[in-house]
Amino acid sequence: MKYIITILLFFSFQTIGRESGQTEITTDDGIEVFNKEKYYLLKTNVKIISDEYELNADLVKAYFKKDLYDITRIFSDGNVTLKSSKGIKASGEKIDFNLINEDLQIFGKNSLFINNELNMTSDKEIKINNTTGNFKINGPNSRLKTNKIDITGYLIEGKFTQLANVSEVELLNVEDETQINIKTETLDMYAIRAEYDKKNNIIELFDNVKILRDNESISGNYAKINTLTESYKVTSKESGRVKVLLNKTDE
Amino acid sequence: MNNFLKINKKTLLILLFFLSVIFLVTVLFKQFNITSIDESILSIDPKFDIIKPSFTINNEKEKISVSASNGNFLNNNKILLKNNVFFKSSSFTILSDEVTFDKKNQTAVSESSSKFKSEGTEIISEGFSISENGDIILFNGKTSLILK
Repeated sequence: MKYIITILLFFSFQTIGRESGQTEITTDDGIEVFNKEKYYLLKTNVKIISDEYELNADLVKAYFKKDLYDITRIFSDGNVTLKSSKGIKASGEKIDFNLINEDLQIFGKNSLFINNELNMTSDKEIKINNTTGNFKINGPNSRLKTNKIDITGYLIEGKFTQLANVSEVELLNVEDETQINIKTETLDMYAIRAEYDKKNNIIELFDNVKILRDNESISGNYAKINTLTESYKVTSKESGRVKVLLNKTDE
Repeated sequence: MNNFLKINKKTLLILLFFLSVIFLVTVLFKQFNITSIDESILSIDPKFDIIKPSFTINNEKEKISVSASNGNFLNNNKILLKNNVFFKSSSFTILSDEVTFDKKNQTAVSESSSKFKSEGTEIISEGFSISENGDIILFNGKTSLILK
C-alpha cells in the first residue's frame, strides 16, 4: 500500500502542470501557510507563472482573502523579476504588488520598471499605480525615460496615461537638492525643481535654471517652456538679469 | 400397496444417518470458516498496534479529522500513522503515506510525499507538518502549488 501511494503521488507530482487560467507556483524549500494571519510564505527559488504574469524571487509572502487561491497581495524579496503579458517588466531587491488596487512598489538598488516604452529606474524605490497611473521614483539615480523625454532627479513623481501600448506622462514634479535634468529632442534643461502639466504643455523650472538648445545656453532662476512651440521665457528673481551664451558654430 | 411401505427399514436408517452427517459437516465447516476469518483479520499484520486509527485536531475555527489504515505507538503521545493517512477539515484534505501524530501537542509531521487539496488549490510536497492546532501548515522540500 505504501508503495502504491508513493507511486501515485509521484505520478501526480509529475503530471501536475498549469492549465490555462491557472497559476502555478514552485519552490525549492516549501510553503508555510498561516491560516489565522491569512498569508503563506514561499521559500527559495520561487517561480509564479500565470496567464497574466511571471514572477521569480528568493522569498515570497502571499496574502489571501478567503483561501490560498484568493491572493490579494504578493510581497517578494530577493532578486525579484516580474513580467506581465501586457508588456510590463519590473525588477528589484523587493517588489510589493497589491492585486486589488494594482499598486506596485519596487525597492532597492537597480530598481527597474518598464511599461512598453516608459522606463523607470532608481536605487531606492519606484511606486506605480496601474489603475490611476500615479507614480513616484525616489532615491539616488532616479530616472524616467520615454521615447520623447529623459528625466533625472532624486524625486520624480507624477501621473502617466496609457493609450493602447503608449504610455505618456501627464503630470510631473521633479526635485533634487543638487540638480535635476530634463532632456527632450531639442532641449536640455537643468534646475533644482521642475513641474510639467500636459494640459497646458508647460514645463516650469525653478532655481539654478539652465537651458541648453543647439549652441544656446540660458541661465536664470525661473523658466517657463512651451513644449509645443518650444519657446521659453527665463527670468531671474534676485538680480533681474538673465545670462545668455551663444556659441559660435563652424559655419 | 403404498410405495413408502416398500422401503427397507435398514435403508431408511442409513439414509437418515448420511443426512445427519452432511448436516453436521455443513454446520461445523461454517463454524470453522468464521473462526478462520476472525483469525486472519487478527493476523493481517502483527507489526501494527492499531488498525484504522482516527483522531481529531481542534482549533477555534475548525475540526481536523485524522485517519489512517494502521498505526504504531511511538510513546504515550506519539503515534506513527501509516498507509492512507488523511487529514480532513471542512476546508482542506491532506493525503500522505506516513505521518507522526502527537496527541498531546496536536501536531503532525510527515517526511513522505503529501498531497494537499482545498477549494481552488492543490499542493504536492515532499512532506508537511501541522502545528498550532492546524493554524500553521508547513509543506517541506520541493513544492508545487496550483491555483485554479
